[in-house]
Amino acid sequence: MMEKLLQLEKVSIDDGLGRALIKNASLTIFQGEFIGIVGESGSGKTLTVKSALDLLPDHLVITSGVRQLLGKELNGLSSKDKRRLIGAGIGFVPQNTVVFLHPMIKIKYQMIDAYLYHIDNDKKQALKKASDLLEKVGIKEPKRVLNAYPKQLSGGMQQRVNIAMALMTDPKLIVADEPTTALDTVVQRQVMELFNQLNQSEGVSILFISHDLKIVKQFCQRMYVMYQGEIVESGETHEIFTNPKHSYTQKLLSLIPTLTNLSMDKFG
Amino acid sequence: MSKLRQHKLFSLGLFLVLVVISLCIVSFFYLPQDPNVMNTINRFQSPSKEFLLGTDQFGRDILSRIMISSRYALFIGLVSVFLGAVVGIVIGALAATANGWLETILMRFIDGLMAFPGILLAMMLVAVLGKGLWNAVIAIAIFMIPVFSRLTYSLVLDQKNQLYVKAARSYGASKCRIIFKHILPMILPRLITQFSASIGSAILIESSLSFLGLGVQPPNASWGLMLSESRQYMLTYAYLAVPPGIILMITVLGFNLIGDAWNDSIVSRRMAE
Amino acid sequence: MLSFIIKRLISGLTVLFFISIITFFVLRWMPGDPATLSLGTEGTPEKIAELQEVMGLNLPWYQQYYHWIQDLFSGDWGSSYVFGEDVMTLIIQRLPVTLLLAAVSMVIVIPFAFIIGIMSALFKERWVDYIARSLMQLGDAVPQFWLALIFLVFFASKLGWFPVAGYVGFDDGILASIHSVLLPAIVLAIGQVGPLIRIIRSSMLSSLEQDYMLMTQVNGLPKTLAIVKYALRGASIAPLTIIGMQLANMLAGAILVENIFALPGIGRLLLMTVEQRDLILLQGMVIFVTSAVVLVNILTDICYRLANPMIRFGGNHE
Repeated sequence: MMEKLLQLEKVSIDDGLGRALIKNASLTIFQGEFIGIVGESGSGKTLTVKSALDLLPDHLVITSGVRQLLGKELNGLSSKDKRRLIGAGIGFVPQNTVVFLHPMIKIKYQMIDAYLYHIDNDKKQALKKASDLLEKVGIKEPKRVLNAYPKQLSGGMQQRVNIAMALMTDPKLIVADEPTTALDTVVQRQVMELFNQLNQSEGVSILFISHDLKIVKQFCQRMYVMYQGEIVESGETHEIFTNPKHSYTQKLLSLIPTLTNLSMDKFG
Repeated sequence: MSKLRQHKLFSLGLFLVLVVISLCIVSFFYLPQDPNVMNTINRFQSPSKEFLLGTDQFGRDILSRIMISSRYALFIGLVSVFLGAVVGIVIGALAATANGWLETILMRFIDGLMAFPGILLAMMLVAVLGKGLWNAVIAIAIFMIPVFSRLTYSLVLDQKNQLYVKAARSYGASKCRIIFKHILPMILPRLITQFSASIGSAILIESSLSFLGLGVQPPNASWGLMLSESRQYMLTYAYLAVPPGIILMITVLGFNLIGDAWNDSIVSRRMAE
Repeated sequence: MLSFIIKRLISGLTVLFFISIITFFVLRWMPGDPATLSLGTEGTPEKIAELQEVMGLNLPWYQQYYHWIQDLFSGDWGSSYVFGEDVMTLIIQRLPVTLLLAAVSMVIVIPFAFIIGIMSALFKERWVDYIARSLMQLGDAVPQFWLALIFLVFFASKLGWFPVAGYVGFDDGILASIHSVLLPAIVLAIGQVGPLIRIIRSSMLSSLEQDYMLMTQVNGLPKTLAIVKYALRGASIAPLTIIGMQLANMLAGAILVENIFALPGIGRLLLMTVEQRDLILLQGMVIFVTSAVVLVNILTDICYRLANPMIRFGGNHE
């Protein structure tokens, strides 16, 4: 049996006023897997994953369930230990529509923080690693990028920086929350190839959240389908695509031919 | 901010303002002593049954003088802010609906007024118009113009792009009609909160001017003037400095709190929508 | 950036133009003409007429205005008829006192406001926040001249920690000089602190809600590092935007405070000028003070952009 990197068991989340946002979500990721979570916006994909990474906003409450990360039970850890575990063990790549990079700090000073704090307090080493990783994610002039502010980079570049930053601590698992949403199709493809390559050649597990079924079909080995705060279906990707059981999944799949147009409309 | 806290602050502000208003109203019917009677025997009396807050350098009753001063403070505060608001709102609305050069000229003019440190503009006007009550009112009113025109300007610009204004325009309503019938009612709450908050600073400027001898003139009483008159005796009779300052602060705090709490509730209602 | 600076300078000049127009016309309303006033008791009708001729008071207003502006630019600001001295000389004489007063009060108010503002944002809706906000409200409501009087009675007269009045020049040592303006500077600082805390608190609160703070969480950075390096950096430049306004407030406060503490600065000179209706001096001082405010506004706008890479490199926010 391979190592379990992340496991949620029957996690429920409440908005603090008694309304359930997530109901009994269970989810497991093993080492080396490329997993997809699909569902429309508002279905609770992001919230589920954020609960696993202890990133929920303060007003939301986890009412029940067990969350395990890298073999450790999250509820049993002090907040400091949780920070350490997540910071060092997991990389997070956000939607590139959000201002994830601090707009007023040069890239290099943002990239090295996690490394300095979790791995080795050696600035030179950290900068070298940052530069290497930028090259690895396909940036040709890492020096220039390191000395730039986020605004000086294009959206695609910023997303590469985000990915490189997520890799700074050599995590076993990367969680990517709709990482290609607002990118054009060429860059989208490049970014996905990058994730794929990390997964294939380095064995990094990827948890990929998306509403783009085509991408999920192409890259993910297993997938979860979320609908209105519940995981309605899960299993091998090709299995689900050939033989969807839940009516929502069936509806989703029937939309595939027009999906490209749809996503263009949404973000165009 | 929590609703409850907003409510509490508003109530506190209202309470403070009501204290001052009732002081003012009572002063028309009853005063403990004649505020203008000078009596050298009674000079510098410490607080007693007869003179609740003591007497000043001329033997005048401080409480009575504070009470009649509230009339001036409230009158000058209300009237000057009202005048300033009317002119300011007109300028702001005009600038927001006019286009091109008129807009630029009006707003630069307002920027120019804004560059005058509050009391400097008032002082300059008093130098020209002469000392006295009405001149202080005019001076403070002019000082209030830029705040209201800037606020109106940005609020009207905001509203101009709203659907209902576009709709009104599409069926051919005139500019004037749109502003007075459609936009003004929408932005009125925001303007009223500004009105309340401005009264506080208007009263503060009035008292400052009077303190400098440029506002309310003796033998009339104003909190600022009282402080100014007692200045030279203050080192010996420190109690002279306390009552006018406290009542002044209560008044300003009251109006500010009302304005703030009101504003917050408008903002949070907007956010909730 | 250069185009922004040019644009900003042009709009600043337009504002100055309006200021000069306002000042020119307002002071022209003044009853009694400058010639009569400056001659005082020595004024005979012939002498007055002669002086009016010399001062150009018979010219149409636009020519008067033009000459006045010309003189301003050439450094000839006229001479005061009360003091009998050059306006520029008088201003420059008084300026150091006011500058020192303002500087000392800035040095007090900035760190204080930052600490309180940040704490109040970090502990939002807790007692630190409530105290900070109460302080803000009180600071806004307390009349500065009253505070000055109370402080004077208590700290200077009763406790004897400060001189009751008067200014000690730099010749007697910088420390003594600072000590002589310290109490008035504290009074000024209290008047300034409210708006500053307010803007620091709100920009800190909005910085704390930004997504980059999520990143510090994901990266497992310790809280202090996240706050100092990320949140604070994001909140640090918004206060720049109100420095111009603060300066204007401070000058207004200086008028009162200098008069109470008998400091021979710009504020005291202004009051004398107004009391004596010294037109030439008053118009010179008004132009000087307002130009300073406009200039500081321009400079802070430019600094704001330079300090903010968000705008410097990307934005078409103009």
